[in-house]
Amino acid sequence: MPSMLEVRDLAYRYPGAAEPALAGVSLAAGRGAVLGLLGPNGAGKTTLISHLSGQLPIQQGAIAIDGVSLAEVRRQAPTRIAVAPQEYAFFPALTVAENLACFAGAARLHGAKARERAAACLAFAQLERFAGQRAARLSGGLKRRLNLAIALLPEPELIVLDEPTVGVDPQSRAFLLDAVRRLADGGAAIIYTSHYMDEIEAIADRVVIVDHGRVLRDAPLADLHAEGARQLRVEADGLERTALAAVLAPFGTAREEGSGVVVDLLADGDPAPALAAVAAAGGTVRRARYGECSLEQLFLDLTQRTLRD
Amino acid sequence: MLAALIRKEFLALSRDLHGLGALFLMPLVFIVVMSLALKNAYNPPADTLAYAIAQHDDGPAATRFVERWQEEHGTPRPLPADWRVALSSQGGQGAPNLKYVLVLEAGFSDALSAPQAPSAPPLRLVVEPGMDGGVQRVTAAQLSALVGEVRALFLMERFMGLAPAGAADIGRFIASERSGGPQGLRLSAVQHNVPAWLIFGMFFVVAAMANLLVQERSDGTLARLSALGVPDGVQVAAKAIPYFIVNGVQAALMLAVGVWLMPLLGGDGLSLAGIDPLALLLVLAAISAAAVGLALCVACLVRSHAQANAIGPVINILMAAVGGIMVPTFIMPAAMQRVAALSPMNWALDGLVGVLVRGGGPAQVLPQAAILFAFAAAMLAAARLLFSRKTLS
Repeated sequence: MPSMLEVRDLAYRYPGAAEPALAGVSLAAGRGAVLGLLGPNGAGKTTLISHLSGQLPIQQGAIAIDGVSLAEVRRQAPTRIAVAPQEYAFFPALTVAENLACFAGAARLHGAKARERAAACLAFAQLERFAGQRAARLSGGLKRRLNLAIALLPEPELIVLDEPTVGVDPQSRAFLLDAVRRLADGGAAIIYTSHYMDEIEAIADRVVIVDHGRVLRDAPLADLHAEGARQLRVEADGLERTALAAVLAPFGTAREEGSGVVVDLLADGDPAPALAAVAAAGGTVRRARYGECSLEQLFLDLTQRTLRD
Repeated sequence: MLAALIRKEFLALSRDLHGLGALFLMPLVFIVVMSLALKNAYNPPADTLAYAIAQHDDGPAATRFVERWQEEHGTPRPLPADWRVALSSQGGQGAPNLKYVLVLEAGFSDALSAPQAPSAPPLRLVVEPGMDGGVQRVTAAQLSALVGEVRALFLMERFMGLAPAGAADIGRFIASERSGGPQGLRLSAVQHNVPAWLIFGMFFVVAAMANLLVQERSDGTLARLSALGVPDGVQVAAKAIPYFIVNGVQAALMLAVGVWLMPLLGGDGLSLAGIDPLALLLVLAAISAAAVGLALCVACLVRSHAQANAIGPVINILMAAVGGIMVPTFIMPAAMQRVAALSPMNWALDGLVGVLVRGGGPAQVLPQAAILFAFAAAMLAAARLLFSRKTLS
């Protein structure tokens, strides 16, 4: 599928900052697909999104939409790209309908078209019952839905959703995830950032993991899962963790982690001999996992466990 | 686009009771309270103060003097035996609330009829300790005039045998009038307070707009509007235009209060008779432009509600204190008057007083309007720059 958005070698350093917020980020997003953007706090996600929303100038690198520079696209048709920020970016004193009307006007929608789009977005976010309610009095989940509805007003082709499910109940979360999937199925290109790995696993077609302003991994979700296919995680009684790692070392690259040992088995590795070696060394396997690797595990492996805030 | 954003401002403002109170109610209260409190500042009550007379001389000049004083100042109160105590214990239990006592010393009549100066003053004015200095001076001046009148009368009779009717009436020798100003305008506290507090009230938009921008910056709506392609200039205009209209409503309300409400409350009414409406509109538009421009500039600079709530009112109060709103410029020392001339509120007060008190037309208030518009343009230009650099970051 051809990419709609292409980011090439994007670098950005805030004035006075010792380190760059972005140091050569390249990624692509295609129509009809959800790109999951993962990264710890301070990884550079917000800086990347700020570029897409036109709030930061490009210092180095390039961003193109369908081959046209982002600056040109923003000059010609800024509403092709929509950003639903983390904050409740609407006017709390206005009702849901008034907010939609205001942002429709801001998006250069007028008359019947504005009313039609407001009604469509109201329906998409299932906010019809709350149209006359002041935004300040909405629940967290309804506020998130309004945030999304506003983003969809100008029928954007690229939608950037910055942690759209923070602080909502499981029902609202499920609704929002379904809604995002429907948007992608409808042909929009979606960039979805979240700290909830299960959300990314549920809806992303491709995942980009960034940290320290660099892309650490950019691959289809299925490939990332497959990366753990040769990973064997063992917890055993009767052997110290260091001794267990020594027993497993001949079968691949072993490292101590948590209460057990993780081994990236050699190519075409079979877990059975490794487990047999543990038994032979006097250990009793208490728990073993093989053939899968969660996104969260991969994320932590790549970005380390060190606290960022 | 602009219409949608302006509509949003009005909707949001109409639902913000605290904001409405700060923008409309507080200036109105200021005008009412200050006009009533300062009512007598422009009409000293020297002619109606309670007084008593300690008369130690019953001669013809003393009798004539007391009669004439009573014609102008009403009947004196009975003189308490301990009148000095009564004067110095104003408001105390049983105090007769005397404001002053005239002491006509023995020999008063002889002293007034003699050509030579008296060896000691035959008349003393003794006032209560809290009397306003201006009122004391006015009373003393009235006494001097009456002493002169009675003395002239008795000297003429003594040396010329008779005094033609009114020959000694000092009032016939002096005419006092104001040069220019609207026809029939009687200067009153409200005539000065409405312009002053109207200006102060119009500048209240500084804190309101600063808080508004802080809020919209923190909740990401400004950034969202920018992401939608709303130009910075449109966003600035969408804030400036509604508050320009708010200023217009403030001005209309405050003028209405001066004209209609103040007389109902027992104060003097604001007179708009003979006022040039075009000049009034020109000055009000210039003041509003300056207030909104300054408000936007401050709003783009502050980073938090705490800053907005502190800086906005402090700027207002400083400009008002320095600019002649709280303290009239003419009583300031020369150095402070030069500082006052730097305050936009001073330019505004000059312009508005020029229209409401001096009856100036557009040509007369053009200098003040021009400097206010220039200030507004500079502030708006700065706000436009700061909006991009500071507001969205």
